[in-house]
Amino acid sequence: MSSAVMGSKVLAIAKDEWRYWRRSSLAQTVLLIALVLAIASVWVTQAAITATAEKRQHMQSDATQVFEAQPDRHPHRMIHYGHYLFRSPPPLSTLDPGIDAFTGNAIFLEGHQQNSATFAEQKQSSGLTWLGKLTPAYVMQVLTPLLLIVLGFGVMTREREAGTLDFLKVQGVSPLTLILGKAVALAGAGLLILAPLVVGALLTLLNGAALLPVVAFVFAYLLYLAIWCGIVLAVSALASSNSTSFSGLMAVWILMCLILPRIAGNTASVALASQGKLETDFAVLQSIRDTGDGHNANDPAFKALKDNLLAQYNVTTVEELPVNFRGVVSRYSESQHTDVLNKFAEQKMQIEQAQADIARKFGWLSPVIAIQTASMKLAGTDLENYQRFLRKAEAIRFDFVQSLNTLHAEGLSYAQDANRYASQQAQKEATVSSANWQILDEFHFTPLAPTQLFANSLMALLQLFCAMAIVVGFILFAGRRI
Amino acid sequence: MSWLDICRETRFVLHKKSVALVLLVGFLLALFSVWTGSVEVAQQHATIERMQKADELDQAGVTKRYDEAGLLAYYTFHLTYAPPSSLAFAAAGVRDVYPWKHRIRMLAIEGQIHESDTQNPELAMVGRIDFTFVIAVIAPLLLILLLHDLRASERAAGRLDFLSITARTGYSLWPLRAVVVVLTLWLALVLPFIAGAIFNGVSAGLILSVIFIALVYILLWSLLCYWVARFSFSAPVLASFLIGFWLLTTFIIPAVANVAIDKGFHGPQGGDILMTQREAVNDAWDIPIETTMQAFVVSHPEWADKTQVKSLFEWKWYYAFQQLGDEAAKPLAQAYQQTAEDKYRAAGWVAWLSPATLLQRTLTDWAHTDAKAAWRYEQKVRDFHAQLRHFYYPLLFSDDKYHAEVLDARPVFKP
Repeated sequence: MSSAVMGSKVLAIAKDEWRYWRRSSLAQTVLLIALVLAIASVWVTQAAITATAEKRQHMQSDATQVFEAQPDRHPHRMIHYGHYLFRSPPPLSTLDPGIDAFTGNAIFLEGHQQNSATFAEQKQSSGLTWLGKLTPAYVMQVLTPLLLIVLGFGVMTREREAGTLDFLKVQGVSPLTLILGKAVALAGAGLLILAPLVVGALLTLLNGAALLPVVAFVFAYLLYLAIWCGIVLAVSALASSNSTSFSGLMAVWILMCLILPRIAGNTASVALASQGKLETDFAVLQSIRDTGDGHNANDPAFKALKDNLLAQYNVTTVEELPVNFRGVVSRYSESQHTDVLNKFAEQKMQIEQAQADIARKFGWLSPVIAIQTASMKLAGTDLENYQRFLRKAEAIRFDFVQSLNTLHAEGLSYAQDANRYASQQAQKEATVSSANWQILDEFHFTPLAPTQLFANSLMALLQLFCAMAIVVGFILFAGRRI
Repeated sequence: MSWLDICRETRFVLHKKSVALVLLVGFLLALFSVWTGSVEVAQQHATIERMQKADELDQAGVTKRYDEAGLLAYYTFHLTYAPPSSLAFAAAGVRDVYPWKHRIRMLAIEGQIHESDTQNPELAMVGRIDFTFVIAVIAPLLLILLLHDLRASERAAGRLDFLSITARTGYSLWPLRAVVVVLTLWLALVLPFIAGAIFNGVSAGLILSVIFIALVYILLWSLLCYWVARFSFSAPVLASFLIGFWLLTTFIIPAVANVAIDKGFHGPQGGDILMTQREAVNDAWDIPIETTMQAFVVSHPEWADKTQVKSLFEWKWYYAFQQLGDEAAKPLAQAYQQTAEDKYRAAGWVAWLSPATLLQRTLTDWAHTDAKAAWRYEQKVRDFHAQLRHFYYPLLFSDDKYHAEVLDARPVFKP
């Protein structure tokens, strides 16, 4: 049989299936629901994320302006005045917001401590989204497979029940051709439902998303829906009746989409308990007490620092130093504290990472988990990207605090500084000019580089490919049994 | 209907491989959810215990180190927490989104209360299997699998008429078969719960209430399935109706309503609260001390004649402007909280259209793991912080000399 003949047969079978759907009110309803959900989710999420991004950008520029507009002050005051960073969502988060709502979106940067990000949106939510949000990612990952099942459970069993299967065989239509034709029919439905997401993806390109992750993102969803079309086809081909096909597919959906992702989450949190920040703060406080309180230059912990400095400048008292010893202590202790803080912060992040890795391993069992991971990684809305934000925020915090500490050490004399509460006049003298507040870099949190996003998603994509291979294997096996 | 009928139908139903499999899956899921839920609750208790010990040591260290009320108030943290209730293992609720532990000190509360030391956000997003999820979401699906083809399968096998004719009474066949299936499913789901509830020390009344509400919920879905199963469509079409109804009430209505609620209720941004509080606190350094003190005595007239300061830095002034910072942010913080409460209340109306959500809200309410419980905890922390101020202000404002014994009267947080 020439490939052209087979091609036309496949297409004829697919068209026949589509004709059947057009006459079936169930199929029409399902397609309509799927399309409405897909379009609505793309629209709603796009609007919500755009508004959020604008709000956060606005607050970010406000925060910077307010900081830079502060009057002449003692530099240490500005360390406590602090600065705010707002996390702005990456372009592809309009299609998969990922963990955005579950993480704080504002972080307060100040001296001596690392604050956690505050005001997670989920805390302000109606609580109605405990099962899932109307986002394109959720609609594609969980709801679309269900609708594909309702649409396609009978693609093979219907022919079998109606007795047309034998008829087709006699006519010389090989089982594989038949399956291929039905696959094309299902894929057509899948593509139709995917269309709004593709449009949304094209829009993100206009909003500054890089090409590679967007293409990989769309491709991952294509692959994912192909897997489900394959599952529907395989089960329908193997099942003896419409009824068993439907029940079997429902069972697969419940297991893959509802149960396994949550089992993965439970397993991760039970297998690896993470200490909260509050708990590690005890250790941080202890260690800070050991390394000395930077507010108190007379703390015995700073004796070695003092002796070294006096020796270095060959003087006998701190008053004679060319730098303000209080500022030096402040800078020194900040860097000591930060080492401790970072050690614990890093530990916490690594445990969270390990938890997420446990959950993601379940992606070998369920393509839903694989697509969730791939999707969030490509969109830059997963745990790694959030942690990247936290690390970046910490780097900014440290830089901005230390530049103020340097100002404290070099812009004020020790005498001015030590006597600042002596009188109004002394207080005024113990300040530096507000021109020094222009230390904040224009903060734009840049997500990972496009190639990095893609590289991070490779494992999940591999999981999807494996699932696809297994499904194809099943289909070939089923084809032989027809 | 006789005992014989019941035995016969039970045997018949349970001997069907597909039914037995569904029941087994239900049982295993309930078991898994109860087990992991109990482990998690135990972890939370252990965390609280460790933190209590560490907090005591930390406080003792601070108390030894400083001998001035202002410094003590600055450096002493106080542990506050909301322990998981006995029922929390069955309804995890929002304890992974809202904080249930804080360490607070005498500084402005608005700068501290919004910190949230929550667990892994990626796991929180995926959600977890708890008993509530098994009953509210999975049980209806299992029922649909079990009941939708009650008659259709017999019809397809050509036995329907024969069975209907030979049945002793109208009740001894279909209703009986359905009741047997439903009750065994209910038992398979609640038995692990009962074991877990006894292990976790849930009161008998609460256990009965939970298994009763689970029964009512399962019966409602069963009635729907039973009613739909009467129509003479093919089994998959009947199941599609039921799944469609489940999808609509469980996912689509809540998700769409959430969008509408987000659009309909607007409150201040969280960031604004922090900014307002910070500005108020920091401005105090740049304005005359008397201005701050005058504003302070508006809310604390009892200290009106103790506001004079001798130097440019005094702790009473420092804490006075912390208080003023809170007062400045109060309207915003209240509006922020009000918005959250309004949204939650509006969602309560939506829940009447979504049985699964209604059940989830009820069980998390009983387990004190819902947003309302989180707000109650937040209020407790605020009250405790107010008590701390009430304790420290006399030490800061009056001229009495500080001595360590006064700390015996310092408030301790009780959950």
